[in-house]
Amino acid sequence: MFMKSKITAIAAVLMTTAFPAFADFWSDAGAKYKGVVLHGVTESSPPSVYIKDVLAPQFEAATGIKVEIETTSWDQMYDKAIKDMEAGTGLYDMVYIEQDIIYAYLSRNFLVDMTQTLTDKPELKAPTYDDANFTTFANYFKNADGHLFGVPMEAFIKLYLYRKDLFENPDIMAAYKAKTGKDLMPATTHEDYTAIAEFFTEYGKEKGMELWGTTAQAHTGHAASWYEYYESIAPTFGVYNWGIDPANNYAASVANGGRMNSDEAKAAMKYWLHLRDIAPPESAQSTWTETATTFAAGRAAQGLIYGENAAWIASDATKSKVVGQVGFALPPLADGVMAAAEAGTGYIGYYDGGAFGLPVTSKNQEAALLFLQFIGQNEVQPDWAVAAPRITNTATYDDPKVVAMDATLGGYYTMLKDQGKLFAGAPAYPFHAQVREATAPIFYQILTGEIGPDEGLDAMAAKAEEELTNLGYRQ
Amino acid sequence: MRSNKTGWLMLAPTLAILGTFGILPFIYVVYVAFHRWNPFGANPDMVYNGAKNFRRLVFDNEFLTAVLYTLEFAVFAVGSEVILGYFLAQLLMRNFPGKAFFRTIHTLPLIVAPIVVGSVWRLMTTPSIGIIPFYLNNIFGYDMNMGRDPGTAFLMTVIMDIWHWTPLVTLTLLAALLALPRDPFEQAEIDGANRRQIFWHITLPMIKPAILATVFIRMMDALRTVDEVWMLTGGGPGDATRYVGLHIWKVVFPKTDYGYGSAISIIVLYLTLMMCWVLYVALVAPRPKKEAL
Repeated sequence: MFMKSKITAIAAVLMTTAFPAFADFWSDAGAKYKGVVLHGVTESSPPSVYIKDVLAPQFEAATGIKVEIETTSWDQMYDKAIKDMEAGTGLYDMVYIEQDIIYAYLSRNFLVDMTQTLTDKPELKAPTYDDANFTTFANYFKNADGHLFGVPMEAFIKLYLYRKDLFENPDIMAAYKAKTGKDLMPATTHEDYTAIAEFFTEYGKEKGMELWGTTAQAHTGHAASWYEYYESIAPTFGVYNWGIDPANNYAASVANGGRMNSDEAKAAMKYWLHLRDIAPPESAQSTWTETATTFAAGRAAQGLIYGENAAWIASDATKSKVVGQVGFALPPLADGVMAAAEAGTGYIGYYDGGAFGLPVTSKNQEAALLFLQFIGQNEVQPDWAVAAPRITNTATYDDPKVVAMDATLGGYYTMLKDQGKLFAGAPAYPFHAQVREATAPIFYQILTGEIGPDEGLDAMAAKAEEELTNLGYRQ
Repeated sequence: MRSNKTGWLMLAPTLAILGTFGILPFIYVVYVAFHRWNPFGANPDMVYNGAKNFRRLVFDNEFLTAVLYTLEFAVFAVGSEVILGYFLAQLLMRNFPGKAFFRTIHTLPLIVAPIVVGSVWRLMTTPSIGIIPFYLNNIFGYDMNMGRDPGTAFLMTVIMDIWHWTPLVTLTLLAALLALPRDPFEQAEIDGANRRQIFWHITLPMIKPAILATVFIRMMDALRTVDEVWMLTGGGPGDATRYVGLHIWKVVFPKTDYGYGSAISIIVLYLTLMMCWVLYVALVAPRPKKEAL
């Protein structure tokens, strides 16, 4: 990885020499800020590590502006970024904005309007940068006027991954058929997914294998489980936006017009709890990445996995035992959910991602704006997409390197391109963490069995409404 | 005699640092505690709300549960550390082969950062990959799953704390034991006192100040523990290990409920001080002598 980064950095230096027009802009624009050191904070994810190891050195070589990127845990990243922007210390010149926090940041005016700034200061506008190059995922980072507040740097969908070697094994297919009367193939309904999961868990037990039927991101004390349920499970039962209805005075309970404790939400919870029970034992301590690790270790026959981990699971033999054996499919759905997603009134799963934004408290806004444009260029995208499975620019899909990678990944990028529109990011709420933290203790009690799913979801809906009232959103 | 002015001048840097980083933030926390302030609320401004935050926490089941669990954690962890630390200190008073090596190994946990301790224990306790569930299953057939069993999770946080901090207690008590004069022990032996009598009537009273100082320090640490437990369990399963420090962190940072979080912090500080005071009065403070009849 280190060697690869070095080679890419050297290639970038050579590229700037070979293309004087680009080199001229970056070196000319950067000359004014020589000696400036930009500081960024981001989550330690593959796309962010690529920025730190590859893009930051490339930018420094091109402009003379040094960039220091701090990669840390999800919690710490928010903790540091919000404290810095809230206190106005100006420690960070770039902050990672996960799609679900952008609404909170915009409501507090934490971020610089990039579109407006580049219009006001045309001398900072790179000729190779254009907002129009981004996919529609960039819309999540725009305000009502269409102004951009962050450069998208990662975008992926949470997909249904399955083990092709197991699903296509004739003996296993025959055994499944004998047991269920159905052909073994990626599930399209919750009933089929459950049947496959039960079959493989039993199969693993019978054969003495370390194999279970599904993954489950079901930590009993971490927000990751809350998100798996609300972003990846409940929507497949037709419960969208956490079951809260902003148009109806932010109602959460069925009694008030919400759906957080609806029959569909309760069915989704029971379905997921059952899957958790037949998933590998580590599932009760699994957060975002552990489900990917479980799948990569060959311990699960299928599972819902964040796309940022798809590439290494499918192609990196140093980390994954299932290289070349991974199939991708859309999540199983209840009746009517696909039709709603196609009509634009619902969605089938989570479209995750984030952008790099510029805090208004930054003391080096102009230099930081140069860096943000640098990482938003079409030219840097293909290698980035190969190193980490994320695509934020439309042109990236057609690059030969990405097309080749798509074949290796069994069509993941094609799925992202063609069916990404069926997925959705987090709802446009400025109160994500607040409602999550208010309801999470009850959610964890449901997971531990201290409270039943029906009773628990009723209590969560009431708690969500209470918190929304305290916050002043619900009148 | 030197003038007071010189003394104050020499103290000034310390007082300035203490005032800036200790006193002023504390005053600010008290100020915030009397306000409703959530920067991500519909009204992100600070609004004075009197003592409502303090009244709220009296009826806050999550907070009261966190306090209860924290007290249980502190009592079990600190109690075990003192008993274990005393025996280890006694062991280190004697000569045995490999004593120097044992003393070094035994002290190593002290230099490990709490966040690292939490990470290592998490790896050791995760089902399927952790060494502890592996051996418990192989030897005793016990299927340990900390994510599903609140009792196990609680126990693991206690054991982790004992592993991390017992060496501190050992070193403190070892220093106290080494400093004891020999005469009272020799006289007691001559008078025919057995080992139990010597422990209760000579050793314990003489090292009581050291024990209490250690208990105070460890008790305060245990009451504010966050990072180790956060890494190991995240406060789960459910709220089984959501100790009060972690509870405050969750209220103040992810939930950004600054006003209420400040009120909880002040109450927890008050409770900690009160606990230490009660301990001091019960065990150390001089008692008025009974007047002769």
